[in-house]
Amino acid sequence: MHLEEVRKFDSLKPERVIDLREAICPHPLNVIRDTIRELGDDAVLLAISDHEPTALENAPRFCERRGYPYRVIEQEGLWNIFIQKIEKKEARLRVESVSKVFSARDGKVSALSDINLTIRDGEFVSIVGSSGCGKSTLLNLIAGLDKPTSGRILADGKRVEGPGADRVVVFQEGALFPWLTVVENVEFGLKLRRVAHKIRRELAYDYLKLVGLDDKFHNSYIHQLSGGMKQRVALARALVMEPSILLMDEPFAALDIQTRESLQEELQRIWVESHKTIIFVTHNVEEAVILGDRVLVFTKNPGRIKSEHDIEIARPRKPGNPEVFLNTKWITDEIREDGEDAEAGIREAAG
Amino acid sequence: MKRKIILLTAFYLLLFAIWEGVAALKLWPSYLFPSPLGVLSSLVAGFQDNSFTIGILVSMKRVLIGYGLSVAGGLLIGLAIGRVKVLDETVGTIVLGFQALPSICWLPIALLWFGLSESAIVLVVVLGSLFAVTIGVDSGVKNVPPIYLRAARTMGAGGFDLYTKVIIPAAMPSIISGLKQGWSFAWRALMAGELLYVSIGLGHLLTMGRELNDISQIIAVMIIIIVIGITVDRFVFTKLENRVRERWGLLNA
Ligand SMILES: Nc1ncnc2c1ncn2[C@@H]1O[C@H](COP(=O)(O)OP(=O)(O)OP(=O)(O)O)[C@@H](O)[C@H]1O
Ligand SMILES: [Mg+2]
Repeated sequence: MHLEEVRKFDSLKPERVIDLREAICPHPLNVIRDTIRELGDDAVLLAISDHEPTALENAPRFCERRGYPYRVIEQEGLWNIFIQKIEKKEARLRVESVSKVFSARDGKVSALSDINLTIRDGEFVSIVGSSGCGKSTLLNLIAGLDKPTSGRILADGKRVEGPGADRVVVFQEGALFPWLTVVENVEFGLKLRRVAHKIRRELAYDYLKLVGLDDKFHNSYIHQLSGGMKQRVALARALVMEPSILLMDEPFAALDIQTRESLQEELQRIWVESHKTIIFVTHNVEEAVILGDRVLVFTKNPGRIKSEHDIEIARPRKPGNPEVFLNTKWITDEIREDGEDAEAGIREAAG
Repeated sequence: MKRKIILLTAFYLLLFAIWEGVAALKLWPSYLFPSPLGVLSSLVAGFQDNSFTIGILVSMKRVLIGYGLSVAGGLLIGLAIGRVKVLDETVGTIVLGFQALPSICWLPIALLWFGLSESAIVLVVVLGSLFAVTIGVDSGVKNVPPIYLRAARTMGAGGFDLYTKVIIPAAMPSIISGLKQGWSFAWRALMAGELLYVSIGLGHLLTMGRELNDISQIIAVMIIIIVIGITVDRFVFTKLENRVRERWGLLNA
């Protein structure tokens, strides 16, 4: 990948050199990330490290995910990691100083305040935060179901003016149509696109298979399914549209733990296979860590992004995984420190 | 099920026997109190000389036209006031008002406008059932869970599709009960209308029975009216209702 660019390293002088030797805390990768953030586009960073996993696993993974060209040169127990910062012009999604104010009877509610967010193609971003911090509001704005009070949202470089099948939402529950069978629900969006009956049937079956719904339920009505099966169908109904961004608003929140974990596994598998761009809202920090490349922590009054965490854990990630546990704990502690609605955060993290 | 059939048969046989017995006592003249056998022979005679068949066909035609118009109008008006707030606040009040008016009260106006004609009767049927259908559609549309609309819109539904593929199906349980009520109002309105002037239909057969002092015919026609009303209700609307309930999982849930 990026052969052209990699070749350029030889002729390029790094703009910044950081020495990661003896960098344990903060974590070397975080140092790289933070330094890169400060650099301009196309700038090259040279990180010198004596830590093998950083040089051979973590930093490369970090670069691949962001699409940064990189090169690691070994030198007797020392590694020189060259990383070039390239911001893709076409981010999948760009949220630019978006605010949303609702006028309620007892005054105005600032649901979102000056949100800035860039999401790259194929990224899986989790959003956590206590109840009422504007997570659903942001998702609705991105979906085009509601309009921002100020700021703008660009999806694939085009300004979001209303809902569209390039940004499909999977809701928490109750969004499947009870008057249609399972397949008919999955076909719904294709029918709107006037896809021929035979083709859309086949696509529907394909996607139902992808989400792991047993064949014998294909012609059932919605009320005959369990909660977990319903969410599988909802996921298939969204995926079949091949949206460029999949928006998920607490899709597993109403499920019991086993079902939730099996759906998390399924979703990871689907994401790894398809590399969809996904924004996933949840109350559950552990779930956010398991699923996301990046976890955004929201706070409320006014709703804003408090912090951002890159999650560098190999997939598939499982709930018991110690790294998952650690990351979950850090984020949960941070939410708790924040003092707001701490109980909710802990309770959710616990299960 | 079996028990019910036995019970009902026994009940009606008993009723029949008591009725026949009382009639046999001749407490009242037979033109005031008919015997069941007399009613039965009236029924047979009515079908033999085709007067009942014609009456049924004429009435059915009227009710189908009138009810059909009501359904079309009720759907349109119901959707409009269910979705557009201004219309609900204005037109909606008229609908509620007219719903309170017994349908036969439209007859004088209908007669003034159309004279003694088919159109007058159909108008009474339409106005008798239109508002019930409208209210059913309206309340169904108003109660469509917003999440269905949001989900459909994110999948790219808009405009006409939103109505035909989401709003109407989602409102179906309530629309069907509106249709059912509309049907029974239409049938009643028709009978009332037909009673009042020469019109060949079933209602007119009742009037003829009175003019001929033939109480057996009156009862025979009443039975036909009841049977048609119940049959349509059972075999059309209850069936429809059950189907929707089954799909939605509203049965014994
Ligand atoms: N349509 C609306 N009208 C008025 N206020 C609203 C509306 N929608 C949301 N709000 C307010 O905006 C704030 C953010 O709501 P939002 O639903 O986005 O929170 P959330 O983070 O999704 O919460 P939860 O985790 O409970 O789902 C809340 O204070 C809420 O009361
Ligand atoms: Mg929410």
